[in-house]
Amino acid sequence: MIPAALEALKKSADAGDACWQRSERTTIAFESGRLKSAAVVEESGLNVRVVKGGKVGVAGTTAADRPPAEVITRALASAELGEPLALEFPSSRVYPPVSTHSARAAGASTAALADLGRGLVERLLRPDAQINVTVEREVEETSVGNTAGAGGSYLATGVSVSADVTRVAENDVLMVYDYYVGTDLPQPAALDAIVESITRRLELALTVTSSPGGSLPVVFSPMGLSAILLPLEEALSGKTLVQGISPLQGRLGEPVFGAELSLVDDPTLADRPGSYPFDDEGVAAARLPLIERGVPRGFVHDLETAARLGKGHRSTGHGHRGVFGKPRLGYSNLIVGPEPRGPSRVTLGGGLLDGIAEGLLIDDLIGVGQGNIIGGAFSHPVALAYRIEKGEVTGRVKDAAVAGNVYDLLKRIGGWGNDGRWVGARWSSSLRLEGVSVAGR
Amino acid sequence: MRDRLEEGVRKSRADYTEIRVERTWASSVSFRGRRLETATASEDVGGCVRVLSRGRGWGVAAFTSLDHLPAMIDRAHELSQAIVLDEPIRLADIAPVTAEALLDLDGDVRGVSLAEKTRLIEAYNGEMLAVGGAITDTIANYHDEVTEYWFVNSEGTALHELRPEITLSGTALARKNGTIEKGLESIGLRKGWKSAQHAGAGFRQAAERAAQLLAAPTVRGGTYPVVLDPEMAGVFIHEAFGHLSEADFVYENPQAREMMTLGRRFGRPVLNVGDNGAAAGLRGTMPYDDEGVPTQDSTLIKDGILVGRLHSRETAARMGERPTGNARAISFRHPPIVRMTNTYIGNGHGTFQDLIKDIKLGVYACSAFGGQTMLESFSFTAAYGHMIRDGQVAEMVKDVVLAGNLFETLDQIERIAGDFQWNQIGGGCGKAGQSPLPVTEGAPHVRIERALVGGEVG
Repeated sequence: MIPAALEALKKSADAGDACWQRSERTTIAFESGRLKSAAVVEESGLNVRVVKGGKVGVAGTTAADRPPAEVITRALASAELGEPLALEFPSSRVYPPVSTHSARAAGASTAALADLGRGLVERLLRPDAQINVTVEREVEETSVGNTAGAGGSYLATGVSVSADVTRVAENDVLMVYDYYVGTDLPQPAALDAIVESITRRLELALTVTSSPGGSLPVVFSPMGLSAILLPLEEALSGKTLVQGISPLQGRLGEPVFGAELSLVDDPTLADRPGSYPFDDEGVAAARLPLIERGVPRGFVHDLETAARLGKGHRSTGHGHRGVFGKPRLGYSNLIVGPEPRGPSRVTLGGGLLDGIAEGLLIDDLIGVGQGNIIGGAFSHPVALAYRIEKGEVTGRVKDAAVAGNVYDLLKRIGGWGNDGRWVGARWSSSLRLEGVSVAGR
Repeated sequence: MRDRLEEGVRKSRADYTEIRVERTWASSVSFRGRRLETATASEDVGGCVRVLSRGRGWGVAAFTSLDHLPAMIDRAHELSQAIVLDEPIRLADIAPVTAEALLDLDGDVRGVSLAEKTRLIEAYNGEMLAVGGAITDTIANYHDEVTEYWFVNSEGTALHELRPEITLSGTALARKNGTIEKGLESIGLRKGWKSAQHAGAGFRQAAERAAQLLAAPTVRGGTYPVVLDPEMAGVFIHEAFGHLSEADFVYENPQAREMMTLGRRFGRPVLNVGDNGAAAGLRGTMPYDDEGVPTQDSTLIKDGILVGRLHSRETAARMGERPTGNARAISFRHPPIVRMTNTYIGNGHGTFQDLIKDIKLGVYACSAFGGQTMLESFSFTAAYGHMIRDGQVAEMVKDVVLAGNLFETLDQIERIAGDFQWNQIGGGCGKAGQSPLPVTEGAPHVRIERALVGGEVG
């Protein structure tokens, strides 16, 4: 597909690139503990970008019944409207070896995937709650090529096993969930971790208590950390830099955060679904330190943000593509706080509760991603949170909200927990922050 | 195409087989500031086979290569056969229907060049930029789609539809001394090119509002009488109540079923709520849902009492109720699940002035930025608000976030004005990985006796 597209591209455009993706995704869903449906989605599509007269255009199609020239014609129409942009396509075909594929996962039968889910359902079953389990396995082939000579193709697998337990008691609805994501089927220990994590958080949530209020120490669990990290992810994006609105612009090398904060993006990690040998624009993957011991070190870029910023800026290999639209900038695997080291323990609070006389443990917040993220301010009601009293969890807090500004809070980090884990494509342990504004009602 | 699908259904070994095929032509144009970010056209083609056999589960196979159709019918059957159920899945009966349902394209966007579309949204973007002053950045998006749609099932239903869709949106960012405020304009209709014309005024107002918000104080957090404008009230009823009325939330869950027992009081007698997939020209409108069931106007709350819920054929059969035409899939990549269409709060009486005249101190929450519900807890952000003082709309305030418990808040709805309107905003609804599904909401102005308004917490 790619050679044919590039061939057609060279005839009508000055330069360009193409990305072809083919995937097969199998989903086994247990609804309220019962296996009721199995689904497979086979998909393939071509995304083409052209440069003509210095202007860039893009188009995509899943219509395999039409010749590639058609999508290129549409990309050229798109380029006519575009503004000049000096994209610098990579020319090197040298890519690091990155393990992205598991033959075991790719070869697993539908029955084996169903058994995996059934086992989890049986272990989570409880009379007072409903259990949903979904097992998903994807096999994907990605091919990229451009007119400057770079390109390649690789196979990847992705497996996710997610479980949620919902307990309705009168007007109280409690939902606790967890999930595994990897390139391979989960090892028994990964399933144990899901069961233990859900059971423990559910048990502790059965007691409902009132919320403390004031400026308090708050522990964010690895799953509860999104609201804190979102502003950093935006600030470190080349896109935000191009727009001139990143609070970290011009602050590389300065100690902006507490020395306990480090952030690394690493697409070369073995056997992570966020990994790749090259990005969807054909740029080689490389580990990229973003914050080192509180000091911002760099931004993520794709070909477009690098071109817009001009001299001295290069793509860091973070261009992601779907079938439709133009490439978009994104992270691969984000490692937050201390580097992954050794197996960690499933503890609620990660050992950070000691010495907290009065505080909150946040596992999930409502409305993360709404509001004025780039400024670092957040204000969210809790979805799942626990009261901490004298170093112990004493029950679930329902009507509470937390607020603060991550640029202030991350200057005084109270510590990282011993419970590091992957949450999707993000590795972190629990994080204790001091002086978070907590409003109870 | 229809012959090809009917032949496929005939050859299927399953007891029940349905095939959906879609071909979507879409174009998108987006501006950031004065810069054109993208102008692109795409084509998306694919199908979905869903089968069911006695005592077995659903088998679903979706694909982009239409040549694979016969193989995918077999594949779906194999998946179905692999699932053995002791309690069989039944589907509520519906009358087979054959229809050519070509919705009014209202100016077929496929006949309009990408350059013309670019000029249109560039002009609207220009309206925002023209406000000048504190307006430092804008985002303006144009998107259109026409989907040619076929649905055939083994019970004799055969549908062929053309479904148009058009959305326009604008965000204006105003900045002063490190404070950033935004104003939003959004239009979303199941219509075509003609309805995208003459929309500039809304874009200009969005930019003017962003500039005004820079000077507006943050609302002081606390409990107030709150009046929701029709847009905010619509988003509230969709998010906070609508999702609970989707029968797949309750049909397998005894506790949830108890919580949502028909006949239970959910509000005061002024409250009427429904969902109407058959209303004309709205974003959630379709003649039939993705199981071939005709859409309808379903009453969910009547005079404060829960009287109905939204169904697929499966949930309706399971609960002994009638299908409502609410099984929808976002595209051929997904099977249909229970979804809302155009959800509304029914009209009340009187004017907006009547609603606020006896409020000494309250908050008027306008135009939704967004909202999220976690089961019975919700949080909604208004785009802007005004204080209500001594029965009058007073100064503008910002950061108006409504948070609370659904049941308590529904019960606090005390008065509803007679100024119903449908929202014609874009965006959409997300559920079970299917997002954004085109939906809309409608409502009059609604007065909540007491609600928690959090600006800055603490």
